[in-house]
Amino acid sequence: MKMENMSLSGLDNTKLEALAQDIYSDLLDDACLGLCFEVHRAVKQGYFFLDDTDQESMKDFEIVDQPGVDIFGQVYNQWKNKECVCPNCNRSIAASRFAPHLEKCLGMGRNSSRIANRRIASGNNTNNKSESDQEDNDDVNDNDWSYGSEKKAKKRKSEKNPNSPRRSKSLKHKNGELSSSVNTDPYKYNYSTGINYETLGPEELRSLLTTQCGVISEHTNKMCTRSQRCPQHTDQQRRAVRVFLLGLSATSLSDPNTALESDCYDASVGQVLMSRLQWDGSSDISPSDSASSKASTNNSDSKKPKKKKKACLSTTGGGVSSGGVGGSSSQSCLAGQANRKKPKLPVPPALSIYDNLS
Amino acid sequence: MRATINQKLTEMGERERLKELLRAKLTECGWRDQLKAYCKDVIKEKGLEHVTVEDLVVEITAKGRVLVPDSLKKELLQRIRAFLAQHAT
Repeated sequence: MKMENMSLSGLDNTKLEALAQDIYSDLLDDACLGLCFEVHRAVKQGYFFLDDTDQESMKDFEIVDQPGVDIFGQVYNQWKNKECVCPNCNRSIAASRFAPHLEKCLGMGRNSSRIANRRIASGNNTNNKSESDQEDNDDVNDNDWSYGSEKKAKKRKSEKNPNSPRRSKSLKHKNGELSSSVNTDPYKYNYSTGINYETLGPEELRSLLTTQCGVISEHTNKMCTRSQRCPQHTDQQRRAVRVFLLGLSATSLSDPNTALESDCYDASVGQVLMSRLQWDGSSDISPSDSASSKASTNNSDSKKPKKKKKACLSTTGGGVSSGGVGGSSSQSCLAGQANRKKPKLPVPPALSIYDNLS
Repeated sequence: MRATINQKLTEMGERERLKELLRAKLTECGWRDQLKAYCKDVIKEKGLEHVTVEDLVVEITAKGRVLVPDSLKKELLQRIRAFLAQHAT
């Protein structure tokens, strides 16, 4: 053992280097031989050339490098000027627009305007009942076969019911979205974005007006169903509509900016406000008011435009923003309601309310 | 003396490790595919039926040594030297 160690330590560097080189070439030979045997076996077994394509195919699928043509040799806009005839309406449509046109034409695609089709169908109802039946089935897939115009009219009315649970639920869940009921029933409101106010009772009107813009359009005599921040109508219009529909006494509920604000500033009303502010019930007033009372939940709540009950919340909000009350709750209230409309209200009543809170 | 070292190399498993390392690196750097393509040429030249192992071995080892990238060669030599330095003295 010692002898061996001595002999090993006696090696000089060149020999060590030579040794290393030898070891290296041994390793490399091993690798090469491995490859050799593999290739030889493949050749003898006949699978060596299997993964190659033959020469003919290589020529067929060679990459094309000409201008105006893609690498497969196909022209890009070959079908642009070709036109097809729609089997439904018998119009000649450009090929690239054919599919979307069919969608709309047949009324079956996701983006097709079912309202339009329904209207058309109802217009032709006396002429062609079977068509309206088809439209109905398309619209309400999970209902049984319906009899036509009767059921359709009923459904339409019930869907337009502003107090239906379906609508109010979807209104609650949609935070931060501008349009309310338009989104809930896109298929139904594409054409008629309004509600006929004559058919609604005062309670319905009130609840409608607290969530929606409600301005009555001159052309259609229908109420606008967009949110209270809808860009098509001004606040004055909204105010006027509320006065018109609900009468003067009821505007304190739905209108932020009239002179009737003084009502809100009485102590009694202030207390009523307080009780409303603290009540987390499901009524029209509470969610937004409770938002103002709770600084922490303020931002999230203030982003619910659906439940943006105009009531006294916006009055207090207006008071806060214009008065610059220094409490943290009021400040966060201010931040949360930065997007609220027109704070034209005098300060003192808001102050009193917030003093109570803090 | 060489036998001793070789024995040590094998016993400690270092030989296997080095072998695997070399194989992996050669595949990674494309050496294997290059060499295989060269094989194809040789075989087409010699004729598919008449290729023998010896032919291939000769051609491949010769070409293979040349094709190994320098960095890989240096790395491997370094490892071997390190091993020798550690265990030969």
